[in-house]
Amino acid sequence: MINLVFYFQVHQPYRIKNFSVLDIGKGKDIFDDELNGEVMRKVANKCYLPANKLLLELIDKYEGRFRIAYSITGTAIEQFRKYCPEVLYSFRDLAKTNCVEFIGETYYHSLSFLYDKEEFLDQVKMHRETIKKEFGFSPITFRNTELIYQDTLSDYIWEEEGYKVILTEGVDRILDWRSPLYAYKDKNKNMMMLLKFYSLSDDIAFRFSNKGWVEYPLTVDKFVKWIRDLNLIEKGKKNLFLNLFMDYETFGEHQWEETGIFEFMRALPGKALKSKQIEFSWPSDALHITNYQPESISFPEPVSWADMERDLSAWRENDMQYNALETFYEILARVKASKNPELLEIARKLSTSDHFYYMSTKYFQDGDVHKYFSPYGSPETGYRNFMNAVTDLEERI
Amino acid sequence: MKVLMFTWEFPPLISGGLGTACYGIVKGLLKQGVEVDLVLPTREEVYFPMRTESDVDSLPVKFLSPAKEIEFTNTVFKTAREKFEFVGVSSVPESYISMKEISTFYEYFENFTERYDYKSKVPFREVLNNIMGSENIFEKVKEFTLRAQRYAQSLEYDIIHAHDWLTYPAGIIAKTVSGKKLVCHIHATEFDRAGGAGDIRIHNIEYSGMTDADAVIAVSRYTAEMVISRYLIDTAKISVVHNAHNIDIREFENKKRLFKDPVVLFLGRITLQKGPDYFLEAARIILEKYPKVRFVMAGAGDMEKKIIHKSAKYRLKNRFLFTGFLNSTHVAEMFSNSDIYVLSSVSEPFGIAPLEAMSYSLATIISKQSGVAEVIQNAIKVDFWDVKLLSDHIIELIEKPDYRKKLGAAGRHEVELIKWDKACTEIIDVYTKTVKR
Repeated sequence: MINLVFYFQVHQPYRIKNFSVLDIGKGKDIFDDELNGEVMRKVANKCYLPANKLLLELIDKYEGRFRIAYSITGTAIEQFRKYCPEVLYSFRDLAKTNCVEFIGETYYHSLSFLYDKEEFLDQVKMHRETIKKEFGFSPITFRNTELIYQDTLSDYIWEEEGYKVILTEGVDRILDWRSPLYAYKDKNKNMMMLLKFYSLSDDIAFRFSNKGWVEYPLTVDKFVKWIRDLNLIEKGKKNLFLNLFMDYETFGEHQWEETGIFEFMRALPGKALKSKQIEFSWPSDALHITNYQPESISFPEPVSWADMERDLSAWRENDMQYNALETFYEILARVKASKNPELLEIARKLSTSDHFYYMSTKYFQDGDVHKYFSPYGSPETGYRNFMNAVTDLEERI
Repeated sequence: MKVLMFTWEFPPLISGGLGTACYGIVKGLLKQGVEVDLVLPTREEVYFPMRTESDVDSLPVKFLSPAKEIEFTNTVFKTAREKFEFVGVSSVPESYISMKEISTFYEYFENFTERYDYKSKVPFREVLNNIMGSENIFEKVKEFTLRAQRYAQSLEYDIIHAHDWLTYPAGIIAKTVSGKKLVCHIHATEFDRAGGAGDIRIHNIEYSGMTDADAVIAVSRYTAEMVISRYLIDTAKISVVHNAHNIDIREFENKKRLFKDPVVLFLGRITLQKGPDYFLEAARIILEKYPKVRFVMAGAGDMEKKIIHKSAKYRLKNRFLFTGFLNSTHVAEMFSNSDIYVLSSVSEPFGIAPLEAMSYSLATIISKQSGVAEVIQNAIKVDFWDVKLLSDHIIELIEKPDYRKKLGAAGRHEVELIKWDKACTEIIDVYTKTVKR
């Protein structure tokens, strides 16, 4: 049996204004309210609202056999509330079906795991409480920002109440000869692990509308056949997990409606469920349906789902990123010591990984994905705004 | 006395450093009874007849062609801007931008209009293209030169005055046509702009202009020495007339503060000529010992990215900040929020920014490789390359706030005494001697 595990990442950062040195210490808003509202409303109309509507229809239609998982960041939830509450309501409607699993992560989609364990655990707790409050769901599954993972993460999360499953990227250099289709356990065998099957995930998330791709156009028939073929590796009736993890914004935002992405998703469950070998599952289902002793797998070095490298280099590669991160976590510690909740909230909004992503110079020349996501004209401008904003925060302590 | 003056910039039409200086010069000349017919790179063949002091602000326009002049006088303009659009003048300084910089100029503009860029790139591109026009400045110089003969024949004047290489060819033509004497004014040479040997065509034009000139005015001894040693110009015809400034020295009360810690400021274009890397190196030395200082690099330029990356590499945290492009209001605000100003230029013919800094009572450190160092006493002077000494001086100013304040106050007083009147008396002196010669 092959279990399709769809997990969608829902995230929006608080983008920073063009923040000049001369704005420091004037109590000016750091975050670009106008831009953030504009982006949120745009993405809500293109993606969140139509995609939620579609998935709700599918859940109703297949009466429990179609199930999905979401990870929604705290910053996204806050901005739904502020700019587009109907998105939040539609997620609640989805939650009420009991066919949706909500995944835990850091409230601010931050890199705190790499810098500040205490802050990391605080943000994880904040997120857990928010998900409980908004959707009545206590997460069992955890995923760190951008699927960043290394062995210590499982140890940290294991200390947290309630988590039993962790998601991360199925990185070739870690898996080596092993398949990402099996459930695994972390190095210390405390947590169940599911690994993203990146080629099929990216076929939907990145290649779906690419006319230069040999498999274009991607039809449901073709995709389901690929899935069935995967099942051939398993002769001993072990349950496999095809983990299709992607940004939710794939639907309608990264892949526009005109590409047929919604129609693809509408047709997929019916076609897949016709096959006796395919079911839809939640990540946490791995706890009950794994009918074998999962092998333990070690990630000595950090991995992530970003870029070709699938490491930390999207956020931490050039000097600007290192300097910004080191400066930020130093100032965060001072903000915490000052016990000023207002400043702490600003600081935490600045901890969101996107700010460091915008500073990446890796593919900027080619106008690649970093540029697509960046609200700034250049990585240097992103850096300048961030550093000035952090300085403003420091001056307010 | 009446002067036919060729220049590439004049505020508010085109206002860079050259424009600012020309404004002061023309105003000073008018004040002392010298009349000026000013020729700028306009689309239409017009000139600006300056007769009284207020003309530098009202900018009267006259067409060379009588028919056009009638059309112009019969046209009603609602605003001054409409009038200048009719005449065709842009507002971007070109003469002080080196060839290399022109290519990065687009980027420079983009940084500063980023917010609009996000919403729509198209209208912004339109604006940019219209402002920039042709990138080839040589084409414009050629056109300007071709017209010089008509100006030289149509107008009446006693002497010709040309500012910087862009107008030297026009000056030479006018001299040939009219037989009047030519004064070439050096505000900057290509060596300064390029930080070494630059565009050979510009060097050749500079050489021809100064060779053919009957008198050469350099903005500093520093520049005069460069003219003598690099262009081998006859020392007898060179005069040094230091620039003054048009800075409005206001009284201001308590200093506003952006930062709790002392602020050390670099303000200027971030280009090789201004030595931003020496400022950065000094900051690195100082921050090791004194982490509680803020360094601010204000401005934009082709070395901005390099300095950003290097400052991050040195892990100067948020103690070394960047402002991006600043407009004049922001420049004023930046000065009034700083404590120490550093001019780290590798080669600065004059350098007006330190005077402006001093007018805000900032303790000022200036590169010895600058013209301004010759006229100012109440500033610390160091060789641009002596990063160790520069950092020692900054540390001393940080450690001794009383000394810093004293130096700032003395500097401000000194700047108040620098006037265009004196410079213009010297220029008139050059005119008189040259005409007689």
